[in-house]
Amino acid sequence: MSTPARPTSFDRTRSLAATAVGLLLVLAACSSGGSSPRPSSTSAPGGTTLPSAAAQPGGTITLYTSVTQATVDAVADGFRDAHPGVTVDVFRAPTAEVAARIATDLQSGGIRADVLWLTDPLSIAPYADRGLLQAWSPPSAAAIPAAYRADTFFGTRLLNMVIVRGASVTPGPADWRDLLAADLRDAVGIPDPGFAGSAFAALAHFDQAAGYGMPFYRSLKDNGATQVKSPDDVTTGVAEGRFKAGITLDNSARTAIRKGSPIALVWPGSGAIAIYSPIAAVAASPNLVGADAFVEFTLSGPGQALIAGTGWQPVVGPGGPAPEGTQVSPDWAAAFGRQRELLDRYRAIFGG
Amino acid sequence: MAASGRLGRMADLRLRPLAAVLLVVLIGIPIARLLGVALGDGPTVVAATLTDSRVAGAIGNSLWTAALVALLATSGGTALALATERAGLPGTAWIRAGILLPLLCPPFVTAFGWTRAYGPRGLTDQALGIELPGLYGPLGIVLVLAVAAAPLAWLIVAGALASRLEPDLERAARAAGAGPGTTLRTVTLPLLRPAILSALVVTFVFAVNAFGVPAILGTPAGFATITTRMYQDLARSADPAAFVEAGILAATLVALALLVVGPADAWLTGRAAARTAETAGGRGARVPGGGRGARGSRARSIAAAGIGLGFVLLTLLPLCAVLLTALTRAVGLAPVPGNWTLANFGEALDARFGDALATSLLLAAAAATIVLPLGALLAVLAGRSRTRGGNVLRTAATLGFALPGSALAVAVLLAYGGWLRDTLAIILVAYLAKFWALGQRQVAGSLERLPADALRAARASGAGGWTAVRTIGAPLLRPSLLAGWIVVFLFALHELTMSSLLYGPRSATLSVVVLNAQQLGDPTVSAALAVLLVGLIAVIALPLAFMARART
Repeated sequence: MSTPARPTSFDRTRSLAATAVGLLLVLAACSSGGSSPRPSSTSAPGGTTLPSAAAQPGGTITLYTSVTQATVDAVADGFRDAHPGVTVDVFRAPTAEVAARIATDLQSGGIRADVLWLTDPLSIAPYADRGLLQAWSPPSAAAIPAAYRADTFFGTRLLNMVIVRGASVTPGPADWRDLLAADLRDAVGIPDPGFAGSAFAALAHFDQAAGYGMPFYRSLKDNGATQVKSPDDVTTGVAEGRFKAGITLDNSARTAIRKGSPIALVWPGSGAIAIYSPIAAVAASPNLVGADAFVEFTLSGPGQALIAGTGWQPVVGPGGPAPEGTQVSPDWAAAFGRQRELLDRYRAIFGG
Repeated sequence: MAASGRLGRMADLRLRPLAAVLLVVLIGIPIARLLGVALGDGPTVVAATLTDSRVAGAIGNSLWTAALVALLATSGGTALALATERAGLPGTAWIRAGILLPLLCPPFVTAFGWTRAYGPRGLTDQALGIELPGLYGPLGIVLVLAVAAAPLAWLIVAGALASRLEPDLERAARAAGAGPGTTLRTVTLPLLRPAILSALVVTFVFAVNAFGVPAILGTPAGFATITTRMYQDLARSADPAAFVEAGILAATLVALALLVVGPADAWLTGRAAARTAETAGGRGARVPGGGRGARGSRARSIAAAGIGLGFVLLTLLPLCAVLLTALTRAVGLAPVPGNWTLANFGEALDARFGDALATSLLLAAAAATIVLPLGALLAVLAGRSRTRGGNVLRTAATLGFALPGSALAVAVLLAYGGWLRDTLAIILVAYLAKFWALGQRQVAGSLERLPADALRAARASGAGGWTAVRTIGAPLLRPSLLAGWIVVFLFALHELTMSSLLYGPRSATLSVVVLNAQQLGDPTVSAALAVLLVGLIAVIALPLAFMARART
C-alpha cells in the first residue's frame, strides 16, 4: 500500500526543486538580462586593442565607493554628461562592505572595479602597497596639495575632525586638550576608531602629534570619556545632552546645526584634523582609459564643483563649507601599516 | 509501524541525496570557501588569533550573552505560548499580534528605540528622570536581544501547541484530578520539550550572530563580541591579515553552532523517535478551556494585563521613541508638537526607494516560498527517518543561520561571485543559505508529530501519498507553515548586511537605501526610514498573521 506514494512524493519534491532552480534562473535573468554592457566591458575591445580608441573613453566602468550617495550620484551624472559614451556602474556601501567586497574579489581573480573612491587614505593605502592601483599623474592632480595625494591615489574632498559642544556649554573647549578639563568629566564622547575610518585618522594624528600620543587617550578615559560607534553618534549624544562635548566630523555637526540641534561646532585652535577622501584607478582595469577619465573628471574643476555642491569641502578650488581655521594632517605614510598596532593600543585603553 | 518504517526508508533513499546536494550547494561550498580563507595563512595564525586575549574575550562574551538570551527568550516565549494557546485569556488575538510586533523591526531599529526610550536623555529620563542602568553594556544587549528573539521562541512553541499537542492528554489529567499546575508540569511541558529545545537552538543562534544590537549597545562599554570584532576586521580588510582574522572569527561561529546545535539535534531526534508511538493519534484539536470559575477569570484578566504591560514597556515604548525621533525636526530638541515636522520622511524617501522596495519584496517572497519546502524536506528526513543521516543534514542547515550576514555574504561571493555576481540570484542564494534553518525549525516541531495514525488510515482507505498529505497533513500543518513563511519573509525583508555586500547596479535592495540614510548621519532621517519600513512590513505581515490564526 505504500507503493503509490513513492513516485508521487518523489515527483513532488523534484518539481519543487525544479521550481526553485527555475526561479533562481529567472531572477538571474531579470537582473542581468537587461544589461549587456557588463560582459562587454570585461572583454573591453576599445581601450587596449585599438590605439586610436585610447583617446576617447567608452565602454563601461565600475566604481566601488564608500562616499555618500548624493555625492557619488552628482559626480557620476556629471561624468556621464561629459562622456556620454561611457556607462558608469556604481557599487556604494559603507567602508567595511566595500573592503569586504574587494577582498573577495581578490580571492577570486582580482578587483572587479575600475575605479575605487573611498573615505580615508588608510583604507586605500594597502591596495597601493600591493601594486593594485595605477601609478600615474592625472592632469588635474598637480593642483592638489602634496599632503592630500600619493603616487596612485588622489584626494577629492576633505573631511575635518573637529570638536562639537552643547550650545549651553560655555565657554566650552577651544582645543583638543580642553576635552580633559574637570568640568567635562564623564561628559565627552569620542568615535570608535575600530568602526569609523575618520576616528582612526584622528588616532593616527594624536599618536604622532607632539604632546599628545597615546597618553591623550589614556587621559580622556581617566576623565570619563565614552566611546560610541561613529562621529554621528557623538553629534547626537551632544545634541541630546548625554555628552557636553566630543570629537566629530564637521559635516556631521553642520547637518545637525542646520536642522536646529542645540550644538556648536568648535574648530580646534591647533587645527582640525583633515582627512582626504582618495580616488584611484585599478591597475588591472580592462578599461583603463575610462577609469582614468573618471578619476581626472573628479579632480577637475567641474568635478570639484559638483562635490562642493553636495556639502563637502573640495580638495582644490572654491565652494563647499570653508575651513574655519588651520587644518593639520597625520603623516599618512607613517601611519600606513601600523593600523593593527595602533588599534590594539587604543583598545587596551577603551576596550572593544 | 512496519509499513511506516518502510515508507520512511524509501523516502530517505530518494530525498536524502536531494537534500544533501542542495545543502552542499547552498551552504557547504560557501562555508568551505570561507574556511579556505580562515586557514589560508596556516594553523599558526589561527592559533595566534584565537589565543589573543581580546579575541578570546570577544568569543566568551558572545557565548555567555547568547546563552542568556536563549534562556530568557525561550522561557518568555514558552510562557506566552501557554498563555495564548491554553489559558483562554481575554484579547488573545491582540496578544498574538503584539507578540509578533518585535519581529517586524530590524534589529538596528530595536536597539535605537531602546536607547531613545530608556537611555541617558531618553524618553523616561526626560519625563521622569529614570534611565535603565546598564543599557549600554552586556545587560542591555541581553535584554534587547531577548525581547527580539522571544517571538521566534513563541512561534515555535505556540505552533507546537496549536497544531499538534493533544489536549486529550491534558483533559485526561484534569479529569483524573490533577490541578492545572500539575498538568502543566507532568503533561504539557514534557510534551513540549522538543519544541522548547528547538526554540533554545534558534534563539541561541539568532543571538550569537547578531550584530546591530551589540554594535550600538556594546561599543560605549568597550564590550566586544565575535560579530562586532569581525565587522571591524572587515572594515580593515584592505589589509589581508585583517581579512584572514575575519575568516577565522566566522569559522569560530560555525564551530560554535556545531558544538551547540549538533548535540541538541541528536537529543531531539532520540526524544522524537521515542515519543511517536506513545502519542500518535492527536487531532490537533482546539485548546480546552481550563477552569471556568470566577477565580480563573480574574486570574486570566490579571495575566492579560501583565502581558499588555510588558508589551507596552518592551515593545511599544521603544517604537514610540523611534516615531518621536522621526517626527522631531532635529536631535536634541524636545519631542513636542512645536518641533514636529514631516520633512525627515521626505529625506528618507530616496529616489531608489520604490525600486528597492519592489526588489526586496520579490526577494523576500521568493526566499520564503523556497525555504518552506526546503525546510519541510529536512524536517521530514530528520523527524521521520530516525537515522543519524537526517539529523546531520538538519544540523548542517543551521550553519548558514549561525553566520552573521557579513560573513555569509563574503562566503557566497567567494563561492559564486564568479558567475552570479550582481544578480538577484546571488542574493537569493545567500537568503536561502541563511534562512533555511529558520524555516526548517519553524515547521519541524509540528511536522515531527504529524499524527501518523491519521495518515496511515487515509492511506489504508486508498488515498495516495500526496492526497493523504493534502487532506490530512496540510490542514494540521497550515498554521505553522504559514508562520514559517512569515518569519522567513520578515527576516529576508529587513536583512541589511548581506544584500548591501551582494547587490549589483540593477539589484539594489532596501538595505542600500537604509544604509544611505544612515550614512547621512542624521538619526532623525534614519528614524523616519525605520518608521516607514516597520509600517510597511506591518501592513504586509499582520494580515498574514491573523490569517494564519483564523485557519487553525
